[in-house]
Amino acid sequence: MDVNSKYNYYEILEVSPQSHQTEVNQAYERMKVTYGGDNPAIYTIFSEEEARNMLNLIEEAFSVLGNKSLRTDYDEKMSFNSKPDGMAPISVGRPIASMTDKIKKGPLFKPEFKMNAIFEAEIKERTDWDGEQIKKVREYKNWTLESLAETTKISGYYIQGIEKLEPGSLPAPVFVRGYVSQICRVLSLDEKKVCDSFMKYYKKALERK
Amino acid sequence: MSAKVWVVGSGKGGVGKTFVSSSVGITLSKLNQSVLLVDFDLSGANLHTTLGLQLTDRNLRNFFDGSHKLVDLVQPTNIPRLSYIQGFWDDWSLSDISLDQIRRFAESCRTTEYDIVIIDLGAGSGWGNMELFKLADERLLVVDPEPTSIEKSYRYLEAFICHSLRENASAESFLKIQNALREYRNKNQKGLFSFRDYLHNATGFSFDHFEQLSKQPIRLIVNSTRSRPDLELGFAIKSVCNKYFDIPVDFVGSIDFDNAVWQSIRGKEPVLIAKPFTPVASQFLTICRHLLSSSRNSNFSANQLKAVV
Repeated sequence: MDVNSKYNYYEILEVSPQSHQTEVNQAYERMKVTYGGDNPAIYTIFSEEEARNMLNLIEEAFSVLGNKSLRTDYDEKMSFNSKPDGMAPISVGRPIASMTDKIKKGPLFKPEFKMNAIFEAEIKERTDWDGEQIKKVREYKNWTLESLAETTKISGYYIQGIEKLEPGSLPAPVFVRGYVSQICRVLSLDEKKVCDSFMKYYKKALERK
Repeated sequence: MSAKVWVVGSGKGGVGKTFVSSSVGITLSKLNQSVLLVDFDLSGANLHTTLGLQLTDRNLRNFFDGSHKLVDLVQPTNIPRLSYIQGFWDDWSLSDISLDQIRRFAESCRTTEYDIVIIDLGAGSGWGNMELFKLADERLLVVDPEPTSIEKSYRYLEAFICHSLRENASAESFLKIQNALREYRNKNQKGLFSFRDYLHNATGFSFDHFEQLSKQPIRLIVNSTRSRPDLELGFAIKSVCNKYFDIPVDFVGSIDFDNAVWQSIRGKEPVLIAKPFTPVASQFLTICRHLLSSSRNSNFSANQLKAVV
């Protein structure tokens, strides 16, 4: 498992976003047993240090997924649908205001832009995507940092960090991948292709750091 | 309709592979499946002993030397719907059998008229075992709670992945992955290592095949568990495989350590027949029901899974 992979908190705890809270808790307990102590199952695979790192990731994941309101926020940020079978979860920390917010906003904002067939073709063909390339597409499609931040709910500071490939101004890699895929969706880019390529660059940037 | 081929393997010897093979076979037959057990443990076949049968002169060797068809070697057992093919243990070793022969063998198993053919592999990751493990429809990996057994199971999985990749990679890139593994073991590489991520970034591999492989989880059975932590071990191994190899492992269940088991082995009678109501029997029943219902292309309905005792 490395930065390059698409592990999010659910994948770290090996549960699905639809999992009931009790399943999440149980998975966390099991993970703690697996990576926490002197478990024979990790012997010869993970070093002590790696197990500690893993445990940190697990704790980080559970600090969010173990808390109902943080989990709801996280799902929203990462665009997960955590409602099992269309049932609304009993939400604790979410005020009703957020629902009315959505209604007020109306249809999703999408700026107008002038089609450029050559550039469109280039976007389609391109296989290597660093922050600079994402920025070019954003500007071509007439998204400002502010409007993109407003639509994706990712802070403009983070979007800038992604475009400049600055790990220093960004959170853990699992989030970064989530952000990039969200930006891709808004900019109508091939999510998987762009994320895979971007995370390679990002990994290098992390190593430099 | 062709038979499904299930293989039972383990990294270390003596963890109960043959016991699991025969017990799964017996339980499946109770679940109304017609089952053929094949003893492929060339290091010392003893499936006949766990089934309490006498040796005959017909054995798997007659298939590999070309003198008999596989179906001609089938022998009945005392258990309804359960047949078996005796193994052999003379001067042949796995390396005397060619890759072609292994493939023909797997194909012959598949074209029999049984519902399920269970191949009891020998211990270890010889390429013959690996090839059968790769070709099978269901892969059962038996491990016991000893650290040595767990360690060898990981080596087994590594060998399996490498074996599966070998024919789908250029010689050069195969060397690369071997080096990467070695490097990783020497802990030169920083951070956590994932096979799949590694392959994603490396060139020269056919990734599709690996994806295909990943769709079919390896079924993990933890045998002779004695304590509460032992029962949790399967989940831990599953998680490690997930995070390290990035291949899905389905922990299908633990089998308790049970005195009835060794008593019945000494009595040369399968424990599930001698003591049909031991907890072990119900553990196998749960495992087999799960395997039947989640096995790919299975056409078993729930009421078909009622045990016929």
